[in-house]
Amino acid sequence: MRILRSNRHKYCADGSFMKEFILDTEVTPEFLDFLKHYGSLEMLPGLGEGFYKFEKSDCFSIKGFLNESSFEVRFKKEVMEFTSDFLYSMLYCYQNGKPDYTTLNRRDVALMERVRTRLHGN
Amino acid sequence: MKQENPLIYLNNAATSWPKPPEVIQAVQESLELPFGGGGRGTGKVSRDYLTEGRETVAQFFGENSPDTIVFSLNATDALNTLIHGFAASQTEKFHVITTTLEHNSVLRPLHYLEKTGMIYLDYIPFSNARVDPESITEVVTDKTRLVVMNHGSNVLGSVQDIRVVGEYLHDRGIFFIVDGSQTAGHIPLNLSSLELDAFVFTGHKGLLGLPGIGGFCIRNPDPVLPIRMGGTGTNSKSLDQPGDLPERYEIGTHNYPGVASLIAGISFLKTIGMDTLQKKADRQIEYFMKELSSEPGITIYNPEPDLPIIACNITGLDNDDVGYILARKDNIVVRTGLHCAPLLHNAIDDGAGCVRISPSWFTTDEECQIAAEAIKEIAHHADSQI
Repeated sequence: MRILRSNRHKYCADGSFMKEFILDTEVTPEFLDFLKHYGSLEMLPGLGEGFYKFEKSDCFSIKGFLNESSFEVRFKKEVMEFTSDFLYSMLYCYQNGKPDYTTLNRRDVALMERVRTRLHGN
Repeated sequence: MKQENPLIYLNNAATSWPKPPEVIQAVQESLELPFGGGGRGTGKVSRDYLTEGRETVAQFFGENSPDTIVFSLNATDALNTLIHGFAASQTEKFHVITTTLEHNSVLRPLHYLEKTGMIYLDYIPFSNARVDPESITEVVTDKTRLVVMNHGSNVLGSVQDIRVVGEYLHDRGIFFIVDGSQTAGHIPLNLSSLELDAFVFTGHKGLLGLPGIGGFCIRNPDPVLPIRMGGTGTNSKSLDQPGDLPERYEIGTHNYPGVASLIAGISFLKTIGMDTLQKKADRQIEYFMKELSSEPGITIYNPEPDLPIIACNITGLDNDDVGYILARKDNIVVRTGLHCAPLLHNAIDDGAGCVRISPSWFTTDEECQIAAEAIKEIAHHADSQI
């Protein structure tokens, strides 16, 4: 999965930075299962095709509808320089349903270390 | 996203849409001849929009003299002109009263003055969406020089009793600025019967004009110094800013298409009639209240708004998520978040924000029905998480 472009952006009331991303393919249930490895997922399956919200604590959240080729990401502003790279990595490592967990898990550990240091100083 | 759903626009408290065809036509016509007047040109030019605009606004607001009408970019611009201009005229630190209902267009200029040591500032809390006029009188001191408050809340849709407050302040010589951003065009106004020193309006909300035009009515400009200076097309020999209205505050080239839209917007409102407009707004409010307040998962923050503004939240869902779902699934536009009113939200939802639904004259009953159903559907699903 790849990001084709970002469509809109805004600063949110909670201080986060929102970007809408246009993807090269639709978001599938399998992709959401993949996301669950890296954060928490909530879903309202009865709304439209299914509304989902993924939260990677201290980093970003993603929300959207299943079977749509776009989603909205809210980055925690203080660590956005690290986490936006990780988002791109996540999509790349998903590899159309054959995820490269090894690479991504390694990047996740490194990311969370940097995030912790930035946010909590240790 | 079901893009085939027609757009339902319920964000009129932010900016009204659609604009009446008469407004669009008036703007187009305004561009067909060169703008003139105000000492900035010769020859055959377009209508005298500025004079006509002042007369139209003054008449619509029940203000006796068109000369008291000053145009600005918008309400925020007008409020900055008034607040900072008033502060500039004071020779010592003074006391200001405002309310926690206010928009950042009031809060931020006042906070700045407080932070820089120019004023003492008191925020009056509200109860049941309204500020008790007595609570304002209770904090007035001999240092109180200015009170700034909104006429209608942009989140709760409540209209404040500015008559009582105005009379009290007038008797004590305290300058009173009223932010009418949400009431202008929504409720009949008769400014000449009120003891206000300045009334602020914006053109792009209830008055159905373009963004970029607003203004204020001020009777005695002496306590408000001009804070911006420049070309006025008059008295050009002098390097001093003219002291007369409107040149005291109106600098640079005017937004003529904006004024044209304002004239046409007000004309449209007068054609419909304020009574008819209000009746429709009341019906819309009643409908949303009936539909939404019976839902256990929906919290309504003011069950009795005076303006077509309904503030709510859905239990278990972030307000921004509700807005996202409405936009993406149903093509319904609302406003979520803090609505530039942080103190108000601290009081009603711990600063989390809410969903604001604001229909207009152009919102059909069917659109209200679709929107209410969509919101209820979200509430029904809000706890079915996997």
